[in-house]
Amino acid sequence: MDSLKRFGIGIVWVAVWIAVAGGAAVCLGAIATSRGEHINSMWLVIAAVCSYLIGYRFYGKFIAARVMTLNETRATPAERLENGHDFVVTNKWIVFGQHFAAIAGPGPLVGPVLAAQFGYLPGVLWIIIGAVFGGAVQDFVILFASVRRDGKSLGQIAREEVGKVGGIVALITVLLIMIILLAVVSLVVVNALAGSPWGTFTIAATMPIAVLMGLYLRYWRPGKVLECSALGFVLTVGSVFGGQWIATSPLGPAFTLPAIALAVAIIVYGFLASALPVWLLLAPRGYLSTFVKLGVIVMLAIGILAVRPELQMPALTRFTDGTGPVFAGKVFPFCFITIACGAVSGFHALISSGTTPKMLARETHAWPVGYGCMLLESFVAVMAIIAACVMDPGVYFAVNAPAGVVGKTAEAAVTTISGWGFPVTADQMAAMARSVGETTLFSRTGGAPSFALGMAHIFAKGGGGDIVLGFWYHFAIMFEALFILTILDAGTRVGRFMLQDLLGQVWAPLGRTGWMPGVIGLSAAIVGAWGYFLIQGVRDPLGGVNALWPLFGIANQLLAGIALSIATTILLKMHGPKYMWITCVPLSWLVVVTFAAGWQKIFSPAPALGFLAQANQLKDALNAGKITGTGIGQTQSLIFNARLDAAVCGLFMLLVAIVLIDSLRLWYGIVSGGRERKVLESPFVMSRLQGEEA
Amino acid sequence: MRIVRNILSGLADLMREISDQNAYQRHLTEHGTTHSAEEWRRFSDERFRMKYQQVKCC
Repeated sequence: MDSLKRFGIGIVWVAVWIAVAGGAAVCLGAIATSRGEHINSMWLVIAAVCSYLIGYRFYGKFIAARVMTLNETRATPAERLENGHDFVVTNKWIVFGQHFAAIAGPGPLVGPVLAAQFGYLPGVLWIIIGAVFGGAVQDFVILFASVRRDGKSLGQIAREEVGKVGGIVALITVLLIMIILLAVVSLVVVNALAGSPWGTFTIAATMPIAVLMGLYLRYWRPGKVLECSALGFVLTVGSVFGGQWIATSPLGPAFTLPAIALAVAIIVYGFLASALPVWLLLAPRGYLSTFVKLGVIVMLAIGILAVRPELQMPALTRFTDGTGPVFAGKVFPFCFITIACGAVSGFHALISSGTTPKMLARETHAWPVGYGCMLLESFVAVMAIIAACVMDPGVYFAVNAPAGVVGKTAEAAVTTISGWGFPVTADQMAAMARSVGETTLFSRTGGAPSFALGMAHIFAKGGGGDIVLGFWYHFAIMFEALFILTILDAGTRVGRFMLQDLLGQVWAPLGRTGWMPGVIGLSAAIVGAWGYFLIQGVRDPLGGVNALWPLFGIANQLLAGIALSIATTILLKMHGPKYMWITCVPLSWLVVVTFAAGWQKIFSPAPALGFLAQANQLKDALNAGKITGTGIGQTQSLIFNARLDAAVCGLFMLLVAIVLIDSLRLWYGIVSGGRERKVLESPFVMSRLQGEEA
Repeated sequence: MRIVRNILSGLADLMREISDQNAYQRHLTEHGTTHSAEEWRRFSDERFRMKYQQVKCC
């Protein structure tokens, strides 16, 4: 009887999985073949969810069971090395929440919004396929590798598994990527707040709110973090309302700042945040940002499911040919580096080999945490692309295209954009700007304003209509800026520690975290590095995002290349070449994509795309006497910046090429039998945790 | 009903974990001490020192 019952349940499950697979196939087929008509966003949602379920249940499980042979009885570092601080046995779903909060930043929101210039199709396919076969696999394998190696970091694993060169290169690459990342995310904030008194006031208000929270936690109600975060949230929402009042009050002009002033303010903030005590600013802002981030993501998912908006953007636009106004470059390879977080992100490997492996109670939890969290982040990216594509394409391009491309006046911009086949009028843009409490929405590049617009429209349709549009728009801007600033201040601090680590080897006092001249000097060095790129982006006539976002995307994907090389080495040592393809396939794709994109960014003859061509064009104009007066100095600095960007891009490619060659040498040695296949895992210890404890 | 209760208690636990309140409780238990302003400051200084040496993702 029992076997009959089990057989019946088995049949039901088979039917369920066939239905899920069918759902994924039908929806992916529908979005891939639909042309010339608007489709509902639910097609994208169902395609994504069904694909994730299939990927998680079958591919993820295959990797967990057959490739990594996760062992329920093997004690994890959290159990063996438990110290109550970093190594703590933690509930699976809490680790899931912590890991997700750590990997989900502005990347999966901004990248897909920018890539929507190609239409929704390339971005959505890359987000789903990239996550299932690339990003989730990378996060999962690195998490597993770290768990089996006492929770070691990516750099340490690289040093031990690949060699000393790999370890040092990984450390330098991470530091450089952080500098570019901090510059590009701060540029997103600057572009969202330039000329916007409402937004600027709201974000400015979060700083005294954070300090108040810091004092509250430190002196008035120590330890009451949830209570303090609730207070901070109420004050922050109050500041969104207050911003509307400020914008129309006599104080409005004081908060209407040009991009360059905002950039300087953010640089000063970054320096202070790096040098001030953590409890005063970073920690309270971090708590607030995490809660707001998780809350907004859940709200957006509910909003999309409730409203089920139609996509206005076509599946493919004419800009797949590389002539796009948001950023230059063809759909291949640029779609795949513009969307990094959300599909594959090298940065995740740092989290997967950071705090998370030190908290897992069971090895088997690496499957939902490593693989599952990445799928959830991928779903956030799908929601972001939906938010961008529910807008009229004409409005999308008017918001995201820099003035240097579409023209400096509203009339010039709408003529150019309508000429591309995406009709939009100056009146339509003016009405939209008024409805969200802005003076203009033209050329608000960076992705944040258009994501905020899309999100505000979805929320407003869910209830309240146009009356609440302004509130939701600025709430969305506040949400994006809040956690971008969290990354900025934490990133600057981490960058300073990395620099102290490196320079401490040269001169010991520089390595001491308590030596104030060192702290101030190295904080200034890190802030100066990303601040330089930020100012460069602000002054760039193409909006800065055109140069910096691809540079960041290339760097992030190259880091993923390093992580996947290490993962391949580990799989090769475990099983020989049998399962290498699992990490080798995404690695090969990323190498092709990033090196193609990097090569084009440096050497393309098109000045809008190639850094060197841009420098040469400016130099020719200078030599021909076409630029005079103050323009000469500005042009000379643009030439220098374009060459610097080319050099940074080349350096990234060189560093990763070194790791790849080092890895290939090792793989050849192992496969040919010339080198020992030695797995460097910590010894097996039987877990003593009972079911309940784990 | 039990499922809803489990989900809500899981969410509350997640919030306490994110806000470090669970970690603080573990710290108190481990050191056999009770809550005080000084103890919280000692705990949070150590906690933040480690937390803000970790990178955050983009």
